[in-house]
Amino acid sequence: MRHICLTLALVAAPVVALADTRDDKIESIVAGHILPRFEALADGADALSVAAQQDCDPASAPLKAAYGTAFDAWISASHLRFGPTEVDDRAFALAFWPDSRGATPRALNALLADQDPIAASAQGYAQVSIAARGFYALEFLLFDDALSAESDARYHCQLVRTISADIAATSRSIQDDWTASYATVMLTPAPDGVYRSDAEVLQEMFKALSTGLQFTSESRLGRPLGTFDRPRPARAEARRSGRSAAHVALSLRSLRDLAARLAEGDMSNRLDARFDHALSLLAALDDPTFATVAAPQTRLKIEIIQQSVDAIRAAVRDDLGPTLGVAAGFNALDGD
Amino acid sequence: MRWMGIDVTVTDTGRRRFLGGLIAVGVAPGVTWADAGSPAFLSAAAQPDGRFVLCGIGRELDIRFTLSLPARGHAAAAHPLRPEAVAFARRPGTFALVIDCVLGTQMAVLEAPEGRHFYGHGVFSSDGRYLFTTENDYEAGRGRIGVWDAGHGYRRIADWDSGGIGPHDIALLPGSDTLVVANGGIDTHPDTGRTKLNIATMAPNLAYVQDGVVVETAALPAHLHKNSIRHLSVGHDGHVAFGIQWQGDGPAPVLAGAHRMGQTPRLMTAPEAAMRDMQGYVGSIALSSNGRTISVTSPRGGVLQHYDVATAELLASLAMPDVSGVAVMGGALAVSAGTGALHLIGADGTARERQTRLQWDNHLVAVGTTSA
Repeated sequence: MRHICLTLALVAAPVVALADTRDDKIESIVAGHILPRFEALADGADALSVAAQQDCDPASAPLKAAYGTAFDAWISASHLRFGPTEVDDRAFALAFWPDSRGATPRALNALLADQDPIAASAQGYAQVSIAARGFYALEFLLFDDALSAESDARYHCQLVRTISADIAATSRSIQDDWTASYATVMLTPAPDGVYRSDAEVLQEMFKALSTGLQFTSESRLGRPLGTFDRPRPARAEARRSGRSAAHVALSLRSLRDLAARLAEGDMSNRLDARFDHALSLLAALDDPTFATVAAPQTRLKIEIIQQSVDAIRAAVRDDLGPTLGVAAGFNALDGD
Repeated sequence: MRWMGIDVTVTDTGRRRFLGGLIAVGVAPGVTWADAGSPAFLSAAAQPDGRFVLCGIGRELDIRFTLSLPARGHAAAAHPLRPEAVAFARRPGTFALVIDCVLGTQMAVLEAPEGRHFYGHGVFSSDGRYLFTTENDYEAGRGRIGVWDAGHGYRRIADWDSGGIGPHDIALLPGSDTLVVANGGIDTHPDTGRTKLNIATMAPNLAYVQDGVVVETAALPAHLHKNSIRHLSVGHDGHVAFGIQWQGDGPAPVLAGAHRMGQTPRLMTAPEAAMRDMQGYVGSIALSSNGRTISVTSPRGGVLQHYDVATAELLASLAMPDVSGVAVMGGALAVSAGTGALHLIGADGTARERQTRLQWDNHLVAVGTTSA
């Protein structure tokens, strides 16, 4: 056995040789991927709030259309979970899902039953349970058979308007923080900054890609799949508005864009082909809410889609991760 | 009497045969850890061929036994007297194996009840009669403690509230049967793997449980509610060192602390750069036998850190790729890594290293103490 002195090397940030395009990659992702997504979210959420002011009836076609556009924008940005989205739990205030314990309908039913005056303004509403805020709560009010047909139309209308205004305010705050400061934070890492180096910025972006893929596989697809013996179609994301499969497609397209900006050369092409494969399998499914997970034939198709997303995850972890200095050790990857 | 699936009738001649059988499976009085090569630690690992094993590791960092596991392990629990180890599948596993470490045979299989899964940790009562396991009642989203009768084929005999959500590590306070549980606060459901379902509202705690009753819980200040308390190490004087995994944005504010029943948790601090090197993640924790030093590992950062309990400040930070397991042995500290490295750091600062061909998994579990 070898004796070594305890003066092992003091810790240094992992330094990884990267192509000198590191700066360019960060700039491309901030300017071409992140900022347009949060701008689209803020604009879409504003339009949603305006539409709700004009017509709060759950049957209103313009309101539903505006809801769809804004929700699309959120799903396309939903993997970017760092910095401005995490201040005051803004991302959760926009998107409280999965809601495994049914907290959202419970909180909405309580508000409706009590005619709680806290719903009078978006500022006040920011204080209610996070489960009663955001796109998934609004989906219940607009699309759920019971909650959209609430008897007191006046309070229901106020709730729709307030939640829409709250979504708009939250989205605008995220967008403002990105343009006012966080874009600069990512573009100019500094020893005393949020990010100490370009490598750390790229690692944050890599994490967004890998956790985005994980969420789409495990939650968007995994929740309705459940187990073979117990499929759970009622757990599909946003099934009331018929958006479940569309969310998988939106997230994959957005993650494909991010992957293409992080990877280089052949690896970039290989990843792109994997995304194309997953998206084409999804397009061929023709089951917008994964309602057929209980039927063996269709279930298999959805499982194969999930496997195709997991294949992207494996390629991202094994091929892309090491080029960005992400620890890929036995324990580092296990995480428990 | 039913034992390992074999019905045994105890008659006079049958009794002799039965006792002979017990000796053969290593559970008769007198069979001790010495018969299993006196391992100082247990650890799960992966072999170069990809197969998973549970190993006994000696005081000289030599491998005393290697036993096959059907899947990747996580932590283990060592019986305080008999050479029996419980190897847990990694979360969200639904089985744990009780292994005779002398014969290498499987003595019992613990299966999580319907609607439950294990978290990968467990601990024996001080007399070795009971095994306690952390579990998820995943439809209810509540943490549970399973109680198993180690003297009777590991029959499940009770089921307690863990005092929170997402219980992970569990340990015993010295000289008592008071359990301390790290309720990590994170709600998960096996349908969605390890996806975290409640980060916005998570509320971790340390819970102390006596005879199925939660007698005390200790939480961190509200602004630290995204600090998932995961791993424990208990000192001889009842101090509980706890390791944290940060679920919030940006650098973790704190990753380790110490608590004693009836008091407020004390939090270990480090300069920001050293804290960031840990990447918000503590994999394992060990409180030194003199109670003065807390050591934590971060496989993500590839860092081992030591904290001075008295001042609550960082003492040293060392680079060790994929480091994870850490446990005390007398005045020394043993450390394992996914790279195959095993280190033994003496109280005088000298260190020994042995390189193996195994990928050591998450935790080193000391044999001969009651903490897991």
